[in-house]
Amino acid sequence: MKATLSLCWTVIGCCGLIVTLTTGCARWIELTATADSSQEPSVRVIARAEQVPLVMDSVGITRNGSPQNLSLETEQRVLGTLREIGLFSHLGGTDSAEPPANEKFIRARLLFDEAIDPHPGDAAWKGIVIGASMFILTPFIPLEYDYAAHVILELERWDGQVKRYESQSGGTAHYQLFGATSLMIDELKGHVTESCLTALMQQMVYDTTFYTASSAPVLERPIRSVSVKSKRSTLTPVSMYTSSGK
Amino acid sequence: MTTAGAQATDVSPRITVGTQEVGLTAGYLLSTRLKHYPTKQEGPAFMPSWMITLTDPIGDSWYRGQISLGAEFVYIQYQEPVLTHGVGFTPKIKYTFVAQDRIRPYAEFAGGPFWTDLAGKIPEQHSQFNFILTAGFGVSYFLTDQTALNAGCRFQHISNAHTSLPNVGLNSILPFGGFSFYF
Repeated sequence: MKATLSLCWTVIGCCGLIVTLTTGCARWIELTATADSSQEPSVRVIARAEQVPLVMDSVGITRNGSPQNLSLETEQRVLGTLREIGLFSHLGGTDSAEPPANEKFIRARLLFDEAIDPHPGDAAWKGIVIGASMFILTPFIPLEYDYAAHVILELERWDGQVKRYESQSGGTAHYQLFGATSLMIDELKGHVTESCLTALMQQMVYDTTFYTASSAPVLERPIRSVSVKSKRSTLTPVSMYTSSGK
Repeated sequence: MTTAGAQATDVSPRITVGTQEVGLTAGYLLSTRLKHYPTKQEGPAFMPSWMITLTDPIGDSWYRGQISLGAEFVYIQYQEPVLTHGVGFTPKIKYTFVAQDRIRPYAEFAGGPFWTDLAGKIPEQHSQFNFILTAGFGVSYFLTDQTALNAGCRFQHISNAHTSLPNVGLNSILPFGGFSFYF
């Protein structure tokens, strides 16, 4: 009888442990619906002879308002997205040489402003509660990590005219303690960045005619727009709780 | 430029939310008598542990740091006053100061159930089921961005939360050393 009771408790204990470990590993991502995300995909046509090259002039990255080092990964991702839409004949990074001034090309400037909120205070208190409960409360106490991005892309045509495109997106990763991985954060950042870039490209494609070679003549005395901008973000934090689901 | 290049190749552990740490700590327990009781317990202690980082670095000043949560298994072999043993399991919370790249001081707190057969053989504690509370400071020195050596000192208190009498409690300090692996 005593052995049966022990076995019963052992089985219950094992089941509890399995339930805690499996439900304690859960995680999911909520993304904000951006203004442009609901738009239908736009299709424009451009003749190959009308395509001009694009050269990335600068890439600025700020995180929570602080300027960061240049991220080649971000630049490559933007160039990759530009390549996918096929608007330009050739794409060059910040390290590639600029075409001669008497040639038609587009100069691009990118500002990538990230806002990260890992909810440290919440995490600390929840951590104490989870620890004090000997991890039993792990499945019932989710943790959060917010990430938002505001991307500004300025494209300067060979005649000095500048078009400015903006998009912003955000999301929240909800996770249980045992589900916390750096992969989860990368997934969240990947989704948010993708959402921003898609919105940017949709805006750009609407201006296809602006970037055709015949849209403006090459100036005899080429000009270059010169500006100094504060890298400090004037953006208000993006609300990231109006979710549209993953 | 040369200096900047050299610094860029220095060890700079990138510990983010979700980074896990497994470690082994060992030390020698030394009695600290806060009251007039005769027991001077001492002996080696071994503490394998697991932790997970809960936050990215918080703050912008010297106190910039990260919080991690985990658990530790405690084994103490009391060699004095009699050869006995103690085992415990303690959830643990740690705040690591990350203002320096390679050298990272930390403060930790842990508490949980503890069983020892030293109880009953000493006048301070008679029940074998007890609780252990630990608070301490340490320093991690990162050899690579994934491995670190640790050293520090802890204060330990063992008592039974008045679940039985006597319950004077055993206090001790534990200088320790160990290593951690981050992944």
